[in-house]
Amino acid sequence: MTSALIADGLTKRYGRRSALNDCTLDIPAGHVVGLVGPNGAGKSTLLQLACGLLDPTAGRIEVLGARPVSGSPQVGFVAQDTPVYAGLTVADHLRMGAHLNPSWDAALAERRIAQVGLDPKQKAGKLSGGQRAQLALTVAAAKRPNLLLLDEPVAALDPLARRNFLQGLMELTAEQGMSIVMSSHLVADLERVCDHLIVLVASRVRVAGDVDDLLATHHRLVGRRRDTTELGVGRALVEQSHTEVQSTLVVRSTAPIVDPSWQVDRLDLEDIVLAYMSGATGDGTGRVLEGQR
Amino acid sequence: MIWMTWRQFRTPALATGTLLLALLGGLALTWSEVTELATQTGYTGCQGDACRAAAETFLQALQPGWASEFHIAAIGALYLLPALVGIFWGAPLVARELESGTYRMVFSQSVSRGRWLVVKLAVGGGAAALGAGLLSLVLTEWAQPIDGASADRMNPLVFAARGVVPVGYATLAFVVGVATGLLLRRTLGAMAVTLLVVVSLQIAAPFVVRPWLAQPITTVTPLTFDGDFGISMSPDTGRMTVHVEPDRRGDWVVSSTTITSTGAEFTGPADLTRCGPRALGGREACQRWLGEQNLSLKVSYVPGSKFWGLQWREFGVLIALTVVLSLFCLWWVRRRLV
Repeated sequence: MTSALIADGLTKRYGRRSALNDCTLDIPAGHVVGLVGPNGAGKSTLLQLACGLLDPTAGRIEVLGARPVSGSPQVGFVAQDTPVYAGLTVADHLRMGAHLNPSWDAALAERRIAQVGLDPKQKAGKLSGGQRAQLALTVAAAKRPNLLLLDEPVAALDPLARRNFLQGLMELTAEQGMSIVMSSHLVADLERVCDHLIVLVASRVRVAGDVDDLLATHHRLVGRRRDTTELGVGRALVEQSHTEVQSTLVVRSTAPIVDPSWQVDRLDLEDIVLAYMSGATGDGTGRVLEGQR
Repeated sequence: MIWMTWRQFRTPALATGTLLLALLGGLALTWSEVTELATQTGYTGCQGDACRAAAETFLQALQPGWASEFHIAAIGALYLLPALVGIFWGAPLVARELESGTYRMVFSQSVSRGRWLVVKLAVGGGAAALGAGLLSLVLTEWAQPIDGASADRMNPLVFAARGVVPVGYATLAFVVGVATGLLLRRTLGAMAVTLLVVVSLQIAAPFVVRPWLAQPITTVTPLTFDGDFGISMSPDTGRMTVHVEPDRRGDWVVSSTTITSTGAEFTGPADLTRCGPRALGGREACQRWLGEQNLSLKVSYVPGSKFWGLQWREFGVLIALTVVLSLFCLWWVRRRLV
């Protein structure tokens, strides 16, 4: 498995405040990877380090096997809030892309603009948030990068615009086969398009894996209240909560759980992510409300 | 990158260009007025002592016409241009990208930050040099009879609106705008600071930089008090100063002071029986008394023949500053920005 992005002890500090602290992860190439975590986890910093907009304070980062520099034709980036030039028209943005990128795919760009219904003569400053995001995605995609990084591209969009954007992204991945890393603090945005998921909390990877594997190996166990240490080999406790009479556990297990004293439920992706985000083993009780929807 | 730079730059560039074209048009239309008046008044082709009078007549004749209006407007424009270029071309160049977040879009294209800024600096600085150079060149040619007649082109006010110096001020002001925008990251703040810096520079140049560059010549001549001179004195203490206008037509007089035989500036005290309101004998008595004081006039001046030498020297200093500041901007955008 080749890597799209490797970080090793990666740290970015602004004065005393650290935006990313000692982050180590490995993102495989050839996937649509969702990077999910609460606000302030360091997702945005990680992506900006990956496209060379920021320089790391310490540690190492490699993107497609090289140190990232801004201006690389290999890496495309759609920044948070999808900035565009307000005074330039949609067509001007495509001309900019054509002038600034040797690998520019004009046919792809024009097809996408027509597909999402953007008027080429419209000033970008007059576009809606959803249209702006589509324009930014088009410019980034028509560059034909090997790796496309998207930083919370749908965070500011309404549900319909969000669906249209993700739809467009899915079409692109199907056609172009580029690796994609997309961050969000909402799982719902990611589960439609991602086949690989990384949960990042406070610069640490809590869980990483293919979405299908994650769904298959996580279970919710509900039973009478008991001590939780007796889970057995090959099982890891992700989250626990207890009432007077009942215990609820989220467990990762490769083998199916056959135990009549537990009621075993499947979890959807959002449950799994929330279980990891809401806390590690042992201190999950205090934050259990956050974990249960 | 050149297309992108031009696309973002064309509106302010065309606005400034229109203004310059209007002025150049005005100078072109009044060109014949200046040369004809110079001929009619006999200034063109004058010989010897007659020239001084002819020059006066020529300058008098120019006063009511459009030519003098355009002359003043063009000088004003050459002083205004650096501030305009710094504020409206330089300051927003990077600051607006940082403010609106669009730097994240352009830095994600396949063009390095260094090249991005080099092209922007070259296009903007080149346009500033071209605009200022064109206006200054045309004005210098246009005003040749006027400068000859008035012998005033070494005057600090006129000097910076002739020759190559305006090019230096325009390019430096542009880069000052870019650098402050880069450091402050706010368009409006950068505009205000740029204005402040450019105006201070324009004020500091004639008082501090130019005398230092020009290396004025100092002469001391005995005062005879048979020409024009001015006196100011306090009748109670007898403290008095004498001001004599040195006859240095065509030169730039940096300073002129009346000194005593010891070399110190003459401040009195005056003999109140011969000078001042209570003295008898009037102005002649005071004049005779001053003549007995063994006073001299110390003049520090830059000869008019040094005009072009000084022009190139000041231009060189401004261009050197422009280059240093540009290199700083490049280093900053590659190493320190975000």
